[in-house]
Amino acid sequence: MNHLSKLPRFLLLGILAVLAGLPVYWMATTALSDESQLYMNRQVPWPQIGNLGSLLSAIAAVPAGRWMVNSLIIATGTTVVSLLLGSLAGYALSRFRFQGRGFIGFLLFMTQVVPEALILVPLYAMFITLGLLNDLAGLALANAAFSLPVATFIIKGAVDTIPHEIEESALIDNCPRFGILTMIVLPLIAPSLAAAAVIAFFAGWNEYLFASTFLMDRGLWPASVGLASFIGQYETPLSVVMGTALLFSLPAITFFLIIQRRIVAGLTSGAVKG
Amino acid sequence: MSEQATTGLRRFGARALPHAFILPPIAYLCLFMFWPLARQMWMSLTDAKLATPNEGQFVGLANYARLVETPAFYASLKVTLVYATSAVVLGVTLGVISAFAINRPFRGRAVVRAVLLFGWAVPNVAAALIWLWMFNERSGVLNQILTGVGLSRLRWLTSIDWAMPSILMVTIWQVAPFVMLVVLAALQSVPDEVREAARVDGADPLNVFRAVTWPHILPAVQLAGLLVAVWSIRRFDIIYLLTGGGPLGSTSTLVVRIRQTAFEAHELGMASAYGAVGLVLALLIAAIHQLVDRRRARWMADR
Repeated sequence: MNHLSKLPRFLLLGILAVLAGLPVYWMATTALSDESQLYMNRQVPWPQIGNLGSLLSAIAAVPAGRWMVNSLIIATGTTVVSLLLGSLAGYALSRFRFQGRGFIGFLLFMTQVVPEALILVPLYAMFITLGLLNDLAGLALANAAFSLPVATFIIKGAVDTIPHEIEESALIDNCPRFGILTMIVLPLIAPSLAAAAVIAFFAGWNEYLFASTFLMDRGLWPASVGLASFIGQYETPLSVVMGTALLFSLPAITFFLIIQRRIVAGLTSGAVKG
Repeated sequence: MSEQATTGLRRFGARALPHAFILPPIAYLCLFMFWPLARQMWMSLTDAKLATPNEGQFVGLANYARLVETPAFYASLKVTLVYATSAVVLGVTLGVISAFAINRPFRGRAVVRAVLLFGWAVPNVAAALIWLWMFNERSGVLNQILTGVGLSRLRWLTSIDWAMPSILMVTIWQVAPFVMLVVLAALQSVPDEVREAARVDGADPLNVFRAVTWPHILPAVQLAGLLVAVWSIRRFDIIYLLTGGGPLGSTSTLVVRIRQTAFEAHELGMASAYGAVGLVLALLIAAIHQLVDRRRARWMADR
């Protein structure tokens, strides 16, 4: 508020920042603690950087590397499917007037209120039939069903802002529509594509419910499932658990902070127009 | 602007082409979203079991009849509503306050803003792990702080009184930053001249806020509230990993029930019936959103 004088405002911000930052700070502090201190009454309340080397080698044994690779595969698959199909749908919804266009927009909007848990069982049954159970590709396909509509909204919104004239000269030269989309339109909306890609990627990277249900083979576990498997078992040192969780979080934190505005614009775009 | 060329382009696009573009994504969504949804609705009318999900016998409304006689169903419905409502009210309030607090420039604003966004950016499973440790009854930092100031330890996640507030704490840590960003974007588009003009006309700060700022950001606040509501109904990971729906079902929302009924009790038909109720709830929120949107459009037109 305009006349909120400085001191109370900074006091408020200070409190908010401590509350918001504490969990991440504590994750780092715990990761870099001596394991022996953790279950004493007073944990050393700052990160002990000296433990970094031993922490990293312990994480490598978890096997965090293999988990992250699996997460990467799922996330990349989710992104590719979402962007490929989202570009087609977004472009069509922006440029073409056709029957059922409004209905398709409505369908896309509806997908945003469907809880993942709701299609879990039928998807499970379907994946048995299709042989997609215990398969990273199946997970990418399941995740993309939820991030494709978001990508579509973002891409449609971006294409809306591009003047028709740019495409017309190409059309007159008899350039096929698909070529116009890939050669002219998509490069122009690269920043929006990047936002859609980050949203889809981290939807796949973070996803837990489908992954924990559809993957039985431990070797296929993504980091989300691997990390969750630490819960309730006490063989893995807590510092290693927190270190792995931090490593898993860092890419998400980095990308979300870098393009926060575009992500927010993207996430809200679908709900604005039903 | 060549109007003729534009209509030419439109006419060109009006032929078969649109379908070549729109069919692949729609077919995809039908296969992986709408077909499973339809199957789910059908399954709620069968006695399908986990081992043979495709071989359920049609049992009519038997699952629903059982559902309305299950006290756990009503408990779960209540938990879901309490959880979603509290998340919306508290998350939006805190998000709006944060947005106002950080709206004006100051040194180090970018850093503070980044820290405020942590809860939003950390993946759910990592968030669950860190909060589990912070909530730890014997050695967690929260109880360390409580005992440090002379209070007694809390059983954050294992007592019926505290499990829901604890879950909400984590949820608000995650959603308030998002609300803040949405509201902040709206705040920064409030025209300064209008605010200035109101002030020159002798309006006090509170009046400026009520007459200029608040109406301007209200749509953003509503939108953020809607999204938080939808996400609360969809949210599974955090609740499932922190409490598993316990203790005694006190944090067992509908989506947690779906997963438990399907994969722990192996009753797909019942799980699907729970799912149908979840879908109705989600659709209701979507309908409310449409209603609010329409009313706002009319309200804008009246002015």
